[in-house]
Amino acid sequence: MQGTPRRGLGPRPPPVNKWTLLLCSFILAAAWGQMNFTGDQVLRILAKDEKQLSLLRDLESLKPQKVDFWRGPARPSLPVDMRVPFSELDDIKAYLESHGLAYSVMIKNVQVLLDEEREAMAKARRLERSTSSFSYSSYHTLEEIYSWIDNFVTEHSDIVSKIHIGHSFENRSILVLKFSTGGSQRPAIWIDTGIHSREWITHATGIWTAKKIVSEYGKDGILTNILKAMDIFIELVTNPDGFAFTHSMNRLWRKNKSIRPGVFCIGVDLNRNWKSGFGGNGSHSNPCSETYHGPSPQSEPEVAAIVDFITGHGNFKALISIHSYSQMLMYPYGHSVEPISNQKELYSLAEDAVKALYEVHGIKYIFGSISTTLYVASGVTVDWAYDNGIKYAFTFELRDTGHYGFLLPATQIIPTAQETWMAIRTIMEHTLNHPY
Amino acid sequence: MTSSQYLCSAPPPRGKRRALVCLTHGCSTSPQVDPKRGCKVDVVFSTERYNQEEGEQRLGKCSAHVFFKNQKPRPAVNVTCTRLIEKKKREEEDQLLYKRMKQLKVPLDAASIPDSRGHIDASLRPIWDLAFLGASYVMWEKTSQSLHYYLVQLSSVKQWKTNDDAIDFDYTVLLHEFPTQEIIPCRIHLVWYPGKPLKVKYNCQGLQTSEEASGTVESGTVESGTVEGSAVAPTELSNI
Repeated sequence: MQGTPRRGLGPRPPPVNKWTLLLCSFILAAAWGQMNFTGDQVLRILAKDEKQLSLLRDLESLKPQKVDFWRGPARPSLPVDMRVPFSELDDIKAYLESHGLAYSVMIKNVQVLLDEEREAMAKARRLERSTSSFSYSSYHTLEEIYSWIDNFVTEHSDIVSKIHIGHSFENRSILVLKFSTGGSQRPAIWIDTGIHSREWITHATGIWTAKKIVSEYGKDGILTNILKAMDIFIELVTNPDGFAFTHSMNRLWRKNKSIRPGVFCIGVDLNRNWKSGFGGNGSHSNPCSETYHGPSPQSEPEVAAIVDFITGHGNFKALISIHSYSQMLMYPYGHSVEPISNQKELYSLAEDAVKALYEVHGIKYIFGSISTTLYVASGVTVDWAYDNGIKYAFTFELRDTGHYGFLLPATQIIPTAQETWMAIRTIMEHTLNHPY
Repeated sequence: MTSSQYLCSAPPPRGKRRALVCLTHGCSTSPQVDPKRGCKVDVVFSTERYNQEEGEQRLGKCSAHVFFKNQKPRPAVNVTCTRLIEKKKREEEDQLLYKRMKQLKVPLDAASIPDSRGHIDASLRPIWDLAFLGASYVMWEKTSQSLHYYLVQLSSVKQWKTNDDAIDFDYTVLLHEFPTQEIIPCRIHLVWYPGKPLKVKYNCQGLQTSEEASGTVESGTVESGTVEGSAVAPTELSNI
């Protein structure tokens, strides 16, 4: 449900006499279909007994309504809060006084409060000038994230740069952050978040992780060693069109937003569009399905952009693709239950990573290959990566295990990011220490 | 079923119990599949109270035999638990909850609980809890060897009546289906009075196969739901 608060006056009219002013504001408010609370007050009444309480209930049942209860009459010991429209103030106050009902004025002018609130919200939403006022424990819009990226790159230009790797179906920029302390085509680690747009915790975790990397460089020995020899690439919004859609229209949208002539449904599951086991079990040929693999491998611009970038680079050694939810850490294959040749090593690494994660907040993850841990899924990112020579290919399913699912409360963003970081760090360290 | 899967359900309506308990950190045997009959799984798990308070103890240990008959939904479940909430306390808590609910003024345009950011207003918690309880029956009925569900959201409240001394709750929820990843809207109508069997009627929409699954569940007895297939054009997902 998208809400812009349906309150507040329009822009200020030019200075004229007060009646014209009043007339103008009412016309404007009416024209905008918005309510005007100017002069309305909120009174707090303490009823002494049931008799007084029933007097208040009488007010409640008046038709047409004269008052609006914010806290209705319940028990004599509990305060009753009611908003009284400006036009009814005199009558209502007289009513209260004549019946000996004690009241106090909680809010002198409701409209003033509403205007202040609107201003505060607009201020918060205005794109911030620096990353220090960006809230890492909130969910953000696409614009806010892209703005943060620009600020972040500016503030840490010594090791961070922004790369534009392509355009989405609806022509949005696809951006990647590069963390590098120098060198040329160094062995690299890839991290992507948000390939499924409804998995909001992943973008939030990615942003926090980016911040963590720059703040730990020079402090954390392991991270510093990694960055001395390798580069890290993070694609925060892997599905920008889908993500914008989860904010504007459908919070539970998963796929991208590609449209094809003659096709009734929109979107391809970007995590079924890769060229490994494409079209197999665990993906669908029906465009209306949530796991529709698309007409052909890499048909989607969002996937093609990554394929082109990684293949063009040629020196990626690890790939981590982050999803939610289920609390799992997995390696290939998704398209088959057949174990990969490096199964033993990846199993052991996953075990270590999950242990490191657990030690942060006690959250348990299970691990194994995708097909044996979660379900059979064909055309997935990590299968493609593995088949293209990237040995350390992992996919995460972050918190939780179904209680909130995709709608993970923002209060869990930082704890989730903190624990996930320890797992990512474990994988990166192993990659550093096992060059191939 | 993998170990440590998080599962909330109302235990099958065998006895008169109606405690909503959640499975945490369970273990299961490998499913024994008999192609002629179906799939049997033995599960051992511990439970905790739904909406557990800080510091509250874990509840009981349970063991269950789950039997999926040949890919059909609504597995037969035989569960025994130790140390659940004792009957008297349960009845007291039911009465308390019932009283709170009778006084609740549910705004009929209450939609999207939790909201996009996972937030549930404290005042709307009892509605969410009851919605969850009804949905858990539906999910149990729809679960099969290959499909399982989680509740995503209470997407709208059609009706909340408290006359006749019962809570009469008509609402729609969104279920998340594994492994298809589909979002399934279900219309649920439940009637609750503490001490009496919970009545749940539901109607869920399928997407690809355009099947409608509907049924009635009454705790105490389980009536079979009917699944009808019909050639209906795919329905667009409702906007959240």
